[in-house]
Amino acid sequence: MTIAGFILRNALRNKRRLTLTILSVSLSLFLFTTLQTALRELTQPPSTSDSALRLITRHRVSLANVLPEKYQYRIQQVPGVEVVSKFTWFGGIYQDEKNFFPQFAVEPEKIFRIFTEAKVDPLELDAFIKERTACIVGIKTMERFGWKIGDRITLRGTIWDCNPELVIRGVYREGIDETNLFFHHDYFNELMNDLGVTGTFWLRVRDEAAVQPVIDAIDASFRNSDAETKTETERAFQLGFVSMFGNIKMLIGSISTVIVFTMVLVTASTMSMAIRERMRELAVLKAIGFNGRQVFSLILAESFGLAMAGGLLGCVGAWALFSNIDVYKATQGFFIKFDVTPHILASGLLLAGLLGAISCIAPAWASIRMSVVTGLKETD
Amino acid sequence: MTPIVQIRELTRVYQQGEIDVTALDNISLDIPDGDFVALMGPSGSGKSTLLHIMAGIDRPTRGSCVVRGVDVAKLSETELAEWRNHHIGFVFQTFNLIPVLTAFENVEMPLLLTGLTASERRAHVEAALELVGLKDRMHHQPRQLSGGQEQRVAIARALVTDPTLIVADEPTGNLDAKSATEVLNLLVALNRDAGKTIIMVTHDPKAAAHARRVLHLEKGELLKDEETPR
Repeated sequence: MTIAGFILRNALRNKRRLTLTILSVSLSLFLFTTLQTALRELTQPPSTSDSALRLITRHRVSLANVLPEKYQYRIQQVPGVEVVSKFTWFGGIYQDEKNFFPQFAVEPEKIFRIFTEAKVDPLELDAFIKERTACIVGIKTMERFGWKIGDRITLRGTIWDCNPELVIRGVYREGIDETNLFFHHDYFNELMNDLGVTGTFWLRVRDEAAVQPVIDAIDASFRNSDAETKTETERAFQLGFVSMFGNIKMLIGSISTVIVFTMVLVTASTMSMAIRERMRELAVLKAIGFNGRQVFSLILAESFGLAMAGGLLGCVGAWALFSNIDVYKATQGFFIKFDVTPHILASGLLLAGLLGAISCIAPAWASIRMSVVTGLKETD
Repeated sequence: MTPIVQIRELTRVYQQGEIDVTALDNISLDIPDGDFVALMGPSGSGKSTLLHIMAGIDRPTRGSCVVRGVDVAKLSETELAEWRNHHIGFVFQTFNLIPVLTAFENVEMPLLLTGLTASERRAHVEAALELVGLKDRMHHQPRQLSGGQEQRVAIARALVTDPTLIVADEPTGNLDAKSATEVLNLLVALNRDAGKTIIMVTHDPKAAAHARRVLHLEKGELLKDEETPR
């Protein structure tokens, strides 16, 4: 027998309690991992070198306010700007409200010069550009509704008082959110009787050095106008968009704290019971020569092992689950990706280990301080 | 015989709330190497306290307890733990075997703290179990053994490190008459044939009669020190 074997035997002596404790810890760690992954997906959308060159100009007051189309010419003249496209959130309904997916009115010849990382067949792109009522759709939305190129769809406007009738002329893949639908801004304008507005402008700048000067120049150009602008990077824009849901970081942080606290209580309670009912045995170990540090190590190892077993089950379980299910479908398009990163996995396991250590400190300390004579008087 | 235990003016006072209770009062005695001593007395006489101090699991309030040249009261807790591992073999009234371990593993426990290899440990454990007549039961767990057999495993655990002293606290207190006799005969054999020094606390005059010497305590004082007839 080894010391490790002895620790394992002790851990396994009450299998029902062990199983329930490991399940409690694993469930808590599963929730923790899921929440942290959700937080990451919401607050840290994938950032590529291409996305670093994309800027969004919107109304300074809020996204709900629109900008005049005529701003486009002045934005295009700012040194460092390569290409600018009108970009309006349509927010229509396809057949039923539950069939949500993002739809945007854009300038078809420019949009894939801005989203350069998206892959589109040149012939399909050409067909999209040439036909006024054409649209191009991300592969995930195509697969979700079983659409094919040439299919006709109608979007029912909710924000805008029009119902675009579109024909699918192309599919794009990779690089950017694969759930979007893009259609012609001109067609949108026509349906809206030449309203002359756009939700935002999306633009691509020449290089990273041009990012800040372009932001400053655009916003300075429209200062003191009727519609002042706010220009920001794509990442800043997405973070601002997420913040519209409220203080998600704080909400998820609070829930995670409650989960962690519950885990401490569960593990500490188990370890207290396990040690309490073994006080006499611990006293015997001391009598036959184990010192306080060694007894503490035995208890710590057992608690750590128990928490880590729960942690592995919960964190790796979350990773395995989210790697094998279509999160996009499961969340009805709310999350496009749901990657449990190595960093989140490591955080979960580190947390489990720390909790294992913390939760045994009080009972282990009591067992160290207990005299052998007192311990031997403990009844079973 | 050379004294293996030398106790001088030993006093142990416990605090119970605001009251001081004197468990041992100014006791002095010598126990020679190879002796078999029974400590007798009514409840509260201090016999268990005296045994605990000699075994290094309790400390005197005053006086000294020197075991093979070491004043155990002067050792730190860590030193004392190591000292117990090398010098003391415990036999308890309730056996105190670890229920999740087999007889073999229970006996092996004190050896895990030594530098012995697994094969050396195995040889020691088998020899100890052979000595108590339980080699054939070494893979049984405590719940699969009778009370007498459990106590013999506990004796094997006490023996396995070849300690200076074997201390037994009411070793027959939880046994039927037949098992008690077997355990006492085993202790006698260990003392007589292997030269082990044994100190045993007991209430039972029949058990005490197996020792070479009986010390009578009452109210923390040593009343009588007598040789048993052989």
